[in-house]
Amino acid sequence: MIDIVNDKYSYPKFAVVGHPNKGKSSIVSSLALDDSVQIGDTPGTTQVKRGFPLTVDSKVIYELFDTPGFQRARRILSWLKEQEPVSADKRPKVVARFIDEHREDKRYLDEIELLEPIINGAGIIYVVDASKPYGPEYEVEMEILRWTGQPSMAILNLIGNEDYRDEWKMALGQYFRLVRTFNPVKAIFSDHMGLLESMAQLKEEWTVSIKVAIGILNNLHQQKVEQSVHAIVSNIQSTLSYVYVQEIKAEKATKEEQKSAKEKYRQEIMAQEKKMEKEIEFIWNHRSIGKVENLVIFEDIGLFSKESASIFGLSENELIITGASAGAVGGLSIDAAFGGNTLFLASIFGGIIGGVGAMVGFGNLYEVKILGKNLGKRELTVGPMKNLNFPYILLGRSLYHASIVAKRSHALRENIELEDEEFFTEQIIDSDTRKKLEKLHVKLRKGDEPSSEMIEEYHKIVLQSFLRLLR
Amino acid sequence: MQTKTNKLSITSYLNFAQLLEVYRGNHEENRLFALKYKSPDKKPIKMLLLWAKEYRFHLTQGLNSKAFVAYIGTTTQLLAFLFLLTGFLTGLGLLSYSGDAPVNITYYLFFAMIVPLLSMLVSLFTMFSRGGVAEFFSLFLSLHWLDKLVSFLPLESKKTFSKEVLLPDELTKWMMIERMQRISLLFSIGLVMALIFVVVVKDIAFGWSTTLDISVNSFHSFISTIALFWKDILPSAVPSLELIEISQYFRLGERLDKELVANANQLGAWWQFLAMATVFYAIVLRFIFWIFSYYGYQKILHKELLSLDGVTTLLREFSTPFVSTEATQGEKHLEIVKEDNLQVQNFMRKSYPNILGWNFSKDEILLANDSKEITYSTVASVGGSNTFLEDENKAKSISKTALLYVKSWEPPTMDFVDFLELLIENKKVDTIHIYPLGTVGRYYESDAKDISIWKRKIQGLKSEKVWIIDD
Ligand SMILES: Nc1nc2c(ncn2[C@@H]2O[C@H](COP(=O)(O)OP(=O)(O)OP(=O)(O)O)[C@@H](O)[C@H]2O)c(=O)[nH]1
Ligand SMILES: [Mg+2]
Repeated sequence: MIDIVNDKYSYPKFAVVGHPNKGKSSIVSSLALDDSVQIGDTPGTTQVKRGFPLTVDSKVIYELFDTPGFQRARRILSWLKEQEPVSADKRPKVVARFIDEHREDKRYLDEIELLEPIINGAGIIYVVDASKPYGPEYEVEMEILRWTGQPSMAILNLIGNEDYRDEWKMALGQYFRLVRTFNPVKAIFSDHMGLLESMAQLKEEWTVSIKVAIGILNNLHQQKVEQSVHAIVSNIQSTLSYVYVQEIKAEKATKEEQKSAKEKYRQEIMAQEKKMEKEIEFIWNHRSIGKVENLVIFEDIGLFSKESASIFGLSENELIITGASAGAVGGLSIDAAFGGNTLFLASIFGGIIGGVGAMVGFGNLYEVKILGKNLGKRELTVGPMKNLNFPYILLGRSLYHASIVAKRSHALRENIELEDEEFFTEQIIDSDTRKKLEKLHVKLRKGDEPSSEMIEEYHKIVLQSFLRLLR
Repeated sequence: MQTKTNKLSITSYLNFAQLLEVYRGNHEENRLFALKYKSPDKKPIKMLLLWAKEYRFHLTQGLNSKAFVAYIGTTTQLLAFLFLLTGFLTGLGLLSYSGDAPVNITYYLFFAMIVPLLSMLVSLFTMFSRGGVAEFFSLFLSLHWLDKLVSFLPLESKKTFSKEVLLPDELTKWMMIERMQRISLLFSIGLVMALIFVVVVKDIAFGWSTTLDISVNSFHSFISTIALFWKDILPSAVPSLELIEISQYFRLGERLDKELVANANQLGAWWQFLAMATVFYAIVLRFIFWIFSYYGYQKILHKELLSLDGVTTLLREFSTPFVSTEATQGEKHLEIVKEDNLQVQNFMRKSYPNILGWNFSKDEILLANDSKEITYSTVASVGGSNTFLEDENKAKSISKTALLYVKSWEPPTMDFVDFLELLIENKKVDTIHIYPLGTVGRYYESDAKDISIWKRKIQGLKSEKVWIIDD
């Protein structure tokens, strides 16, 4: 026997219910930051209810339920109406009896799954697709929900391109105290918080808990931002100071040895970038992003490619200004400013890259040195990265990737397209920040250990850029 | 400075570092752990060590520290013994007395005072220098040379850990310094032991001599300065001017000063001074130095432990509440059926005896008929706000062919399937055409995605009477 729980001290629960295929799972998935929820075209994707508790150190603050859609609403309503007429306050008991009496009835599996949490005290979040016209068949469902006597609100989801929200509002307004638009696919953090604010209004006793939850989620969000910035900065630090060392036999490194050492150096740096990206995806709870092919289109664009340089890097002018202002170039030739890729150097290391590539090219980003002649052991070393532009490219890519991941709804199952090229350098790193960043780059390039204050300062700048991108 | 409860050993450091390589837990586990020990925010080192103890079982391949500590322990013990012996033998050598000439106290003082003081000075420089400079000073540390020596020996144990154990330079330095103090202490103890031994078993005459032009008075004040620290406590250990005067000697061939020989019985009185000088300069001072270096070593050990890769994360996880928003149990994923288009027609008839509209009102059906230019004999609205009984009667009263309009964007519910099954069971009906209509706003045009949902559903019914119209 189910009894109607109206325990004031138990945590708030919300059952997300509605017609099949209207985005219930998508909404839960995005609110619960859980991308493992199955979302699909096929109606009836969700077959059993599933709880998504917000817990802090195992203490539940509130719980969301994803439920299957209504399948035989008419039959249930007619059963309810066939019972002895009761006063409105007894109606929830009738619904509870329906559940009790039909547990073994295969026809009502879905409805029992969706009604049970409500009868157990969950608030109702009724989801409709407002890009499609309203129909009176929905009234049956809303009537059943009304019988449960639980506080309720409606969410207008816009799956398609049309907009019938006005007619929906007219109808829903008669059944639900609150009607809100929420698009689970596009929603960003502030939209979530807005929706939670509405949920807090459903029942007086819940308000405090939901406000607490909002605080917790805000905190969590900030922590994630911090952690992402930390991951980005550590990666920049280790990448810029990375030196690949390889033992060689002869007096001088052969062309092949140089080539393979450079390749290994690049590969290690790319692997580090990948690792950092994975870490960021993990921070933001995007566990199954790996299954999505090319989350961001720039995965096709290599870290060391011309495209990457022209999208994320600085222009020739910016490079010279940055280099000169930070004292990075100094007595050194313009070679350094152009990534050491003038004809002279290019010819030494073989392979002349023409056109734009030469300006921001990646042929000779890094020094190749042979060390330790007098110890009887010869080592060919590649790195640290000498190209002035590279840190900006790496930072730009990292920030962009992180912002995409951070803003990505957990209801999304597809990839995202890269935005306009100008978008980056302008938005992520302006010329003022660049000067500050360059200080650390210079240090790392020289292979010096930067002070913790310096890293902290860098951290701050990256954080600001990241926050700007999250807006 | 650290309290005793926080004493850290190199073994715990190494075990912890090794554990971090293979296991770091996750936020949830680590926070749970911290809460179990109730002081999540206090005494990070203590928490870290407790954590390491709890998860030590993850270290399945044996501890690197074992071999290392065994090696370093053996070397230190060996050295300790050697130093004690050397101290004792040096003492014996310095105090060797044949009776021909008195024992020159200046030699003794050189080893009991000047050498220790110099070595402490070297230690001091080593402590407070870094990198290359520290390396230079460490050349004066005997442990450094012994270590070099041992590293040339083909020791099995050394080979096994030299790959795994990579101590930070500062830590190695302080570890060496600390051990150096202990070992040196033993040298001085050996020295004192020799002094006492010789004094007990022999009668020794001490004297002093120098080529330098030093007057008895200035030698006396020099000796008094040395004895400054104990002259109040032990006045008998401070040589008197008279003693100094009578114990000066000149070696001129075999002949000794007559006066010296005459006072030979008094010359033994020096021993107390020598013993005190050794105890104070070589033992007490060294002991203080050892305490100092021990704290320095502990401090660096703490610092290095806290800066191990992964520790910051671990500590953050201890102190940050673990927030979870995800589902607690997994989801049984729905298998998606492929469509095979068997029951699909891409044209409609011009005329139908029965036209039904699922969830459409009569007016809406007529409008659709008009727009599609279809003639009919009867039209009826089913589903929606109709009752079951009404629907059932309509299903039974139909014969031959029926056209059934459905809303393409609304996926087929079980309610619809129930109704369709009534139609299928009706023997008089031979063909049912289901026509999914789009919204009026789009002139009844449907999305292919929506149509395909209908196709799949109908196909699942496996009825030869039912066809989907997809035009
Ligand atoms: N473009 C867009 N598609 C959406 C949105 N919400 C849901 N969808 C799509 O609609 C379909 C159904 O979404 P689900 O979240 O599985 O819907 P559901 O209500 O849980 O469905 P059932 O579990 O089958 O009852 C999926 O293909 C989603 O990708 C949205 O806001 N925008
Ligand atoms: Mg679902």
